[in-house]
Amino acid sequence: MSKIEINHLTVDYTEKKKSFTALKDVSFSIEEGEFVSVIGSSGCGKSTLLSILEGINTPTDGEILINGEKIRGTGTDRGVVFQHYSLFPWMTARKNVAFGIKQVNHSASRSERYKIADEFLDKVGLEQFKNKYPSQLSGGMQQRVAIARALAMDTDILLMDEPFGAIDAKNRTILQELLLELWENATPRKTVVFVTHDIDEAILLSDKIVMMTANPGRVYRELKVPFDRPRNRSELVQTKEYNKFRNNLLSLFYSDIADKIGGEEVVL
Amino acid sequence: MNIPAGTIPTAKADKKIKINSELKTEFFRRYFRVVHGLFAVLILIQFLPDQLQTETYIFYVIWFAVGVEILTLILSAVIKKTASLNLFTDIVGFIYGLLIAWTLATAKFNLLKAALFPPPGKVFRQFINDYDKILVNIQSSVGIILQGYLLALIIAIPLGLFLGWNARLGSSATYISKFLGAIPPIVYIPYGIALLPTFKSVSVFVIFLATFWPVLSGTMSGVMNVEKKTIDSAKVLNVGKFTMLFSVILPASLQQIFIGCNQGLTVSFVLLTSAEMIGAQSGLGYYIKNYSDFGDYTRTIVGLIVVGIVIVIISFIFNSIQKYLLRWKQ
Repeated sequence: MSKIEINHLTVDYTEKKKSFTALKDVSFSIEEGEFVSVIGSSGCGKSTLLSILEGINTPTDGEILINGEKIRGTGTDRGVVFQHYSLFPWMTARKNVAFGIKQVNHSASRSERYKIADEFLDKVGLEQFKNKYPSQLSGGMQQRVAIARALAMDTDILLMDEPFGAIDAKNRTILQELLLELWENATPRKTVVFVTHDIDEAILLSDKIVMMTANPGRVYRELKVPFDRPRNRSELVQTKEYNKFRNNLLSLFYSDIADKIGGEEVVL
Repeated sequence: MNIPAGTIPTAKADKKIKINSELKTEFFRRYFRVVHGLFAVLILIQFLPDQLQTETYIFYVIWFAVGVEILTLILSAVIKKTASLNLFTDIVGFIYGLLIAWTLATAKFNLLKAALFPPPGKVFRQFINDYDKILVNIQSSVGIILQGYLLALIIAIPLGLFLGWNARLGSSATYISKFLGAIPPIVYIPYGIALLPTFKSVSVFVIFLATFWPVLSGTMSGVMNVEKKTIDSAKVLNVGKFTMLFSVILPASLQQIFIGCNQGLTVSFVLLTSAEMIGAQSGLGYYIKNYSDFGDYTRTIVGLIVVGIVIVIISFIFNSIQKYLLRWKQ
């Protein structure tokens, strides 16, 4: 049995009396401890898919099973990192993390929660900033806190919706490597569903890449990423295999777009 | 050896002079201000010959001014930010200017009706003589306000959170509270008098109503305007209903709630002092009305000043609380 099974998921939206299909018959499965990236151009429904996994939205048709059980609403088995607004602006970094811990572990005392929170803030390199409010932190630091919270909650599954999408290139690289390190070194490894539109990010982090296509949102390809772990970005990007795999992925990505706009004439 | 001897020491000396002059200007900027000139004028005019038949108690004004001046000098040395120092000395300057005009118009030139406008010295003296009586009246007024106000907050905020969070109840409650809140609370007074035993309980009731509606509306609109993303990030943490309302929705809508609280506070003061002038046996409004009825305008002015001071202090406390609770906003 797979950790997460997505079965024939369809989502229709109705907006101003017009309905459109965000997801149509999406099915794939994710194994325990697997890092899966969902990539695709904007409008392919990747964020909609994640919102159903999070339990915020409900599908029109189909279902998602976690450990064989159909999900209904949000649950403490899933930790979430959004692109924006994951943190509560009125709580300090430490309180944000401790608040997350409290929701999954009601029995922990305040000092125990703070201790765990400090430990995880330490892991993401923010021990000096634990008493700062989100408005006093940079975008990259805020995402570090959000990651620390998701990890501190110690859920089986991590759902990440373009967590580094709004971060500048340099910090994005640093955060990707931080996430990779934290995930690879954890035992047991968490099951991660990671939504992105950055192909390099997806290759570096994932075991499997699910490529989606728009109008309506469907699964276009599922690809295993054939590189050994632990991965090192600078070594990896120099290998022939990496470049071959990346080019293959890029051509798939663009051929999909080319199909959409009318095939051969489009030069990219 | 093109450089003439002595160049380097000269440069050093120049620098020293520059630092010295900077210190000097800083000193001038801090201590040589118009406000101190106004202080001198205020003191000097006290010694002009009086035009009034009665005693004008100039030394009360002088002691007051000296006290304020000492405070100003201390703060000039303590306050670091120029803007804050400017703010303080500007306010002090206004007080000096007012006292100068007041002294000249009453004691020195007798331009106003002496019975209605006592000289400042007399008012200060009365202030000191009536000290304990004033405190009792402040206690009475502030006590009534706090009771009505806090009762309204304790009920209106949780109710607003609950109604605003419930999509269906929230939209109808918004209209209903708009309608009921539009009725000036003063018109409930006849019902209050018919139903409640004492002036005090009627006042608490009216202040409760005056605060309740703006705080309820503010809370509801705050809740309805909480960003969906904030709610989603709480939902994915799987928070319970109580935590959602009080740990997420409440802080997220705090700014709007404060707008309602502020409105309620302003209306409460206007209402209470007016009500006290009509029907009370205590309180600041009563103090003013009672003595003006007896033609004691010295005490009337004391009352006016005290009301002003009390309102300034209460709004200062209110703003400090607001600033503290919203310190995470930038």
